[in-house]
This record gives sequence, C-alpha cells and structure tokens, in this order.
Amino acid sequence: MAELDQVDPFAHATVAVQDVHVRYRVPSTDAAERRRKAGPLTRASRTVLGRQPMVLVRALSGISFVARSGEQIGLVGQNGSGKSTLLRIIAGLENPARGRVLAESTPVLIGVNAALVPDLSGEQNIRLGCLAMGMTPEQAEAAVPEVTELAGLGKSIYLPMKTYSSGMGARLRFAIATAANPHIMLIDEALATGDAAFKERSDARMQKLRDNAGTVFLVSHAAQTIEETCTRAIWLNYGRLVLDGPAEDVALRYRKWAWAIAKDRPEEARSIIEEAFAEREQTFVKVEEPPPGRLYTPRHVRPRATPRRATRESR
Amino acid sequence: MNAQTTASGSTPAHRPAAYGGLYAELFEKEPAVLEVVSAGRLTPVGARPPIRAYLAQLWNRRHFLWAEARAKVTSGTRETLLGQAWLVVKPIMEGVAYYLIFGMLLSGSAGIENFLGYLVIGVFLFQFATQCVTGGARSIQSGRNLIRAFTFPRASLPISVVLRGVLNLVPTLAAMFLILLTLPEQERWTGAALLFPVVLALQTLFVTGLALLLARLTSMVPDLNQLIGVAMRFWLYGSAVFFSIERFEKYPWIVGLMEANPMYMVLDAARDCLLYGTVPAVSTWVGLSAWALGTLAVGFVFFWKGEETYGRA
Repeated sequence: MAELDQVDPFAHATVAVQDVHVRYRVPSTDAAERRRKAGPLTRASRTVLGRQPMVLVRALSGISFVARSGEQIGLVGQNGSGKSTLLRIIAGLENPARGRVLAESTPVLIGVNAALVPDLSGEQNIRLGCLAMGMTPEQAEAAVPEVTELAGLGKSIYLPMKTYSSGMGARLRFAIATAANPHIMLIDEALATGDAAFKERSDARMQKLRDNAGTVFLVSHAAQTIEETCTRAIWLNYGRLVLDGPAEDVALRYRKWAWAIAKDRPEEARSIIEEAFAEREQTFVKVEEPPPGRLYTPRHVRPRATPRRATRESR
Repeated sequence: MNAQTTASGSTPAHRPAAYGGLYAELFEKEPAVLEVVSAGRLTPVGARPPIRAYLAQLWNRRHFLWAEARAKVTSGTRETLLGQAWLVVKPIMEGVAYYLIFGMLLSGSAGIENFLGYLVIGVFLFQFATQCVTGGARSIQSGRNLIRAFTFPRASLPISVVLRGVLNLVPTLAAMFLILLTLPEQERWTGAALLFPVVLALQTLFVTGLALLLARLTSMVPDLNQLIGVAMRFWLYGSAVFFSIERFEKYPWIVGLMEANPMYMVLDAARDCLLYGTVPAVSTWVGLSAWALGTLAVGFVFFWKGEETYGRA
C-alpha cells in the first residue's frame, strides 16, 4: 500500500479488468477422465467418433485490477498460468466467460505469433502490418524508415520474411507493433529474443512510449526482466492472481517460489505462495455508469437551432 | 475520475489460503481496495460495435484488405519459373482441357451453338464462385493467427478472400476473352457485352454474402466444411456449366429449380451478353439482383451478430 503513494496522483485509469473468468472446454486423453461419469453409450460413441472426453480448464478465475497511465506492468508466473490469456483478453481478441475489460483506447498486442506474410520481404511486411493496425497508406509509408531503423536488420529487411531467424522475426514484429505508437501496449515475450544491441534500442523505444503516458503490459518468464523494466508486477498461478504490487517485491517472491519449485521443495514453495495470498489486497473494480441520457430534454436546456439527430451523435 | 479507498484497517493475518473468498470477506475483513472507474471514459474492449460503426471500421481497413489480397495472389506463383505468367497460362490450359474432355470426348455440345464459349464462360465464372465460397467458409479458421494477433473487424477475413478471388479473376477473364476471340466459332459482339461487368458485380455481391454467411456457420459447426465440397459439386451440375438446360425439358420442376438458381442466372446472363449478343431478360436481372442484395444483407448481418465469438480457441 505504501507504494501506491509513489504513483502519480494525476495518473488516470487506462485499463480496468473487472472479475474476469476464462474457461475452455478441451479434449483430454487422461485415462481417469475417460472413466469418469461416462455410460456405456457415451463411451461407445466416443470410440466410434474417435473423440476424447472434454474437460473444463479454468484459464483465469476472478482477475481484477486497474492499470494507470505511465505504468509498466509485468506479468509473471509459470507456463500455463494464464499470462498470455490475460493479454489476449485485455486486447479484446478473446472474450471472457464472465467479467469484462474496459480500456481507454484499443490495446495493441505484440505477440510472438503475430502473423505476417512469410513470402513478402520485411519491408513489405512493415507496410502490411501498419495497414493492418489501421494506418492510412501515407502514414504506413512514413512509418517505414523508423520501423526499419528500430528493427535494425540491415539489408535483410529486403529479403523474404521466411528466410529470417526467429530472433530477427521477433525484432521486426516488435518494431512494427510500436510503430502505431499504441497508447496501451501488450508485449508477449517479444523482448526476450533480441540480442544486446537490439535490447538497448528497444529499451529506449519503450522508455519513449512510457513517456508518452502509455500503459505497457509485459509477459516474461524472466523475473529479472520484469524487475528491470517494470514498475508494477502481477503474479499469476493456475489462473489466479497471487500478488499485485511493486515489481521488485513481486518479482523477488516469484523468484524465491520458482527456485523452491526448481529445487523440489514443495513445502517451501507452498508457504511462499500462501504468504503472498494472505498479504494480497483484494481489489474490487466498480464501474460507474455515466448517467443515462434523458428521453426528454426540457426546452430550456435544449441546444438552440440544432437538429435533434446531431445532438444524439455528438454524445 | 477514479478514487482509491482502503476499505478497512490492514492487518494481514497469516491464514491458510484455502479460506479465500467468502470466508475472508465475512470473518476476517481482509483489506480490500476498491477501485472506481468511470464507464464514460473507458469503453468495453472487444465488444461488437453497432452495424454502422462496423461498416465504417471495415471501410477504414480497405487499404489493408487490398494490400493483403494483392500480396496473397502473387505469393502462390512466387517460386515458379514463369511467376505471374501462370495466372494467365493456367486458366487457358484449363479451358483447353475442358474443351477436349467435354467438347470432343463426351460430345456434350449437342444442341449448343458456340460450345467452347459456352463452356469457358461457365467454367471460369463458376470457378470464381467456388474459390470465394470454399475460401470464405474456411476464412475464420485459416485466419486464426490474425484474429489472435490484431484487433480488426472480422468480416475483413471473408471479404479479403472474395477480393483475392476477384484479383485472380482478372487474368482468368483475360484468358477467357483471348479464347473467345481467337477460336473459330463466331460470337455476335454487340453493345450487350457492356453489361457483362454488371453481371460480374452482382455475382461478386452474391458470393460475398455467401462467404460471410458460411464463415460464421462453419465457425459454429466446423463439420460443415466437409459438406461444402459436396454441395458445390451438386451446385456445379445444377448450374448448367457443361450442358444446356434444354436437356431437362421433360422435367419442368428441374428446369424451374435451375432457373431459380442464382449461379444459373449469372451464367445465363453472362452468356447472353458475350455469346449471343442479347440483353438478358428482365426476370433474370430482377432475380439476380434480389439474390445478390438479399444474400449480402443476410450474410453481413448474420456475420456481424457473431463478431464476438470468432476469437474463441
């Protein structure tokens, strides 16, 4: 709570995540699942159709938080803990089963699987990617030199994307995604692949974005990256929010926990996570609906000599 | 616009995590942070916009759609020696193959004047419809990577498939006119040929509607993809591509069914314009326009209603 004092009091909320739940129904080859609650008819039909029993996976349960402008939020957690799902939900690429996400502007997700056309050259892909983000052809054309410089691929930028190494591809994607100057940016492991020289440039670029009062979400397994680049961190475990607080504190606890898991000390890991759970401050997000527009506007407050339709559209 | 209030005193007691949620809420009074945000400034993410806003968004993406369709059309022939020349050469060879099979071997030309022209128009225009319909139906599944990476109106995917079909059609049409002009059979070129682009435009509207409709249907029931190939086969034979409708004169219900078939109307109108030098009948124009606009409207609204469901894995 003490750290909240450091937060700029004039920073305004950019993203509000309200009690988000995500579930998937997926086939499972677990033999125990196969025996569970299945009559002979169900089993026979499964055998005939070659289908596996479906299980319910809770990817996220009850996540709530509010992000403010100027914040860089790191998401930590082991593989499959729901970090990437949370990013996709915030970006609006998937819809939660329960709860909702509100944002000030359209968040832009920079993922490792952002599809570009492999047959086109890097340069052509920059243009295409910029257009995909909703730029006009002139804006896209103007963005090309800057993106090329940030990606720093030299002459390779004129070669087809399919000849790129995974690191080069990731650099290009990162550069393209930042070209839009998104106000809310979601980064999924994109930085981990760059080499030292690129890291320097991308850090500078991130700093610039942050200065533009953007909000940045960053997913990384490396707690160190989170500690270095983020102001706040959220720790997820099996789709539940373990801890939400200043980056150093959360990253440190997460590292201790991960170390205990790695050294096969489940008791220690358990106590760390329970302690974190206990200290967590539960966040409730309340969304204040704006007062509904009146059906009837009294004559004295009606705008004069303006047709009704125009007023409705301007709202 | 937002305020933070700490609801109660903060003495985080060490307690087992198992007693989360309601228990803590009732008995332990765990410190809770209440964040209030205003829905006036923040808008829901990923929500389906009203249809006019949706149309505006689509219109704003027109440059992307165009660039993407162009990139994908040429990417198919990029690794060949002849490159883009294949876009023209392949349809010509197809026309010749159909002529050899249906015109010479199976002699299906019975009673059709200028059979090669009849066949070429039928085959090429139907191929365009097949491409758009099967590609459009698969567009949500094949565009999953894009859907999971970018926020854009999802109707872009089926529409870009149709756009790609249109771009593919340009060299195909060039080949078609080349065949029509060079082969010995005589066409009557009149002003009616100028109506051909209108027929094509109506066909494009119709297949766009169908692509949108099937895109949502197959994303709801993926099994439909298996059926579309079979359905297209039936449709091909029901549209009088290789033979004349006169063949079924004894069965008036088959003729009636075929004449109500929008693809038959397209082919009939195109042949009237290009081969026989006559202006298509008013009934064909009315029927075709009704099919085109009706399918487009129904398909678009149906697709738009499902906008929020396409991101599901």
